[in-house]
Amino acid sequence: MTERKRITDIHAYLEQFEDVPGTRVFTAARARKGYHINQCAMSLMKPENRERFKADERAYLEEWNLSEEARQAILDRDYNALLDMGGNIYFLSKIISTDGLSFAEAVSSMTEHNFEDYKAMMAAGGRSPEGVRSIKGKY
Amino acid sequence: MARITAGIASSHVPLLGMAVDQGKTGDDYFGPIFAGYEWTKDFEKQEKPDVVILVYNDHASAFDMKIVPTFAIGCGESYKSADEGFGPRPVPDVEGHPDLAWHIAQSLILDEFDMTIINEMEVDHGLTVPLSMMFGTPDEWPARVIPLAVNVVTYPVPSGNRCWALGEAIGRAVESFPEDLNVQIWGTGGMSHQLQGPRAGLLNREWDNKFMDLLIGDTDEARWIEHIEYIRETGTEGIEMVMWLIMRGALGKKTRCLHRHYHIPCSNTAIGHLVLEPKPAG
Ligand SMILES: [Fe+2]
Repeated sequence: MTERKRITDIHAYLEQFEDVPGTRVFTAARARKGYHINQCAMSLMKPENRERFKADERAYLEEWNLSEEARQAILDRDYNALLDMGGNIYFLSKIISTDGLSFAEAVSSMTEHNFEDYKAMMAAGGRSPEGVRSIKGKY
Repeated sequence: MARITAGIASSHVPLLGMAVDQGKTGDDYFGPIFAGYEWTKDFEKQEKPDVVILVYNDHASAFDMKIVPTFAIGCGESYKSADEGFGPRPVPDVEGHPDLAWHIAQSLILDEFDMTIINEMEVDHGLTVPLSMMFGTPDEWPARVIPLAVNVVTYPVPSGNRCWALGEAIGRAVESFPEDLNVQIWGTGGMSHQLQGPRAGLLNREWDNKFMDLLIGDTDEARWIEHIEYIRETGTEGIEMVMWLIMRGALGKKTRCLHRHYHIPCSNTAIGHLVLEPKPAG
């Protein structure tokens, strides 16, 4: 599968993650950028916060140190935009649960498919890695 | 003397927990998934492990971004099921084994693995779903559990080699515990899945099965698989499979496969399940 070597070059290590199509690997840089988005989403684990969020989402988001862009992306449930801003799906999943959505439905919203087509793709064996492993290598 | 008698690998998809909690494990969608765990449920009834060292990852439940421990071991008396946004799973509390857990924690630190010690936390689907898959729905879990949480979310996550070596060190630690205990180690998470971005929904049956092959017998090739290969071949969340290597490392030089199951899909994820036993070399 791969030769025996230890990772010694942090720059090369991080750079390869940018070579995967349609993917935002949760690197330290993204974790720093998205810190408040993720902590805000995380706060929805508490039932009382879920209630306050549902009652007035905008007001709830105003309490957090978020950019206007991030607030809007949360209001729009634009998960791809949130990933670009350093959101991580495990934190964002607290918003998905608060909405009472299935994980698969929210995940499908980030793809080219609607939920029905996404489910059909999964039932047929999922998305093939063929052609989406590497941007540079095109394989 | 305590001994590790078996290693179990399993996916820990949250939807499986919901299927158990809502009594849907026999329906058309879930039936074929749960059927592959029947063998293991019987095995566990015969084996009656005293303790399970349960390697899993927390999915932004007990840990948020405030603290991100790479390897953390639960030394507490008991753990409650976490509220992941839709109320806690209605499962029994998880009883710990502080004596063995503290023994392992101390041994690992002396063995140069700088563990984070956890005395109190809640445990999410990463830990409770495997318990449901292997033990069903008892009033209380039939084994004590030592949670071993691994960061597989914020990069860099630990290397495969480091995970394998940690498993080896856990094996040594268990063997030096004086009490006579039947201990199992479970590695959970995976297999192929990607839950984010336009590439979400990626599954890779061929690679997953090759990975399972590499955990059987005397090869240790899997410890050298790089993070980027998991991501390219199995999706961003496929990286969880490094946790299976901790289980495999703890079983020693050679293993024998007692049971194997693979099913696509469960929600966004490929389900993989292995039961292994350590086999003396030769
Ligand atoms: Fe997981």
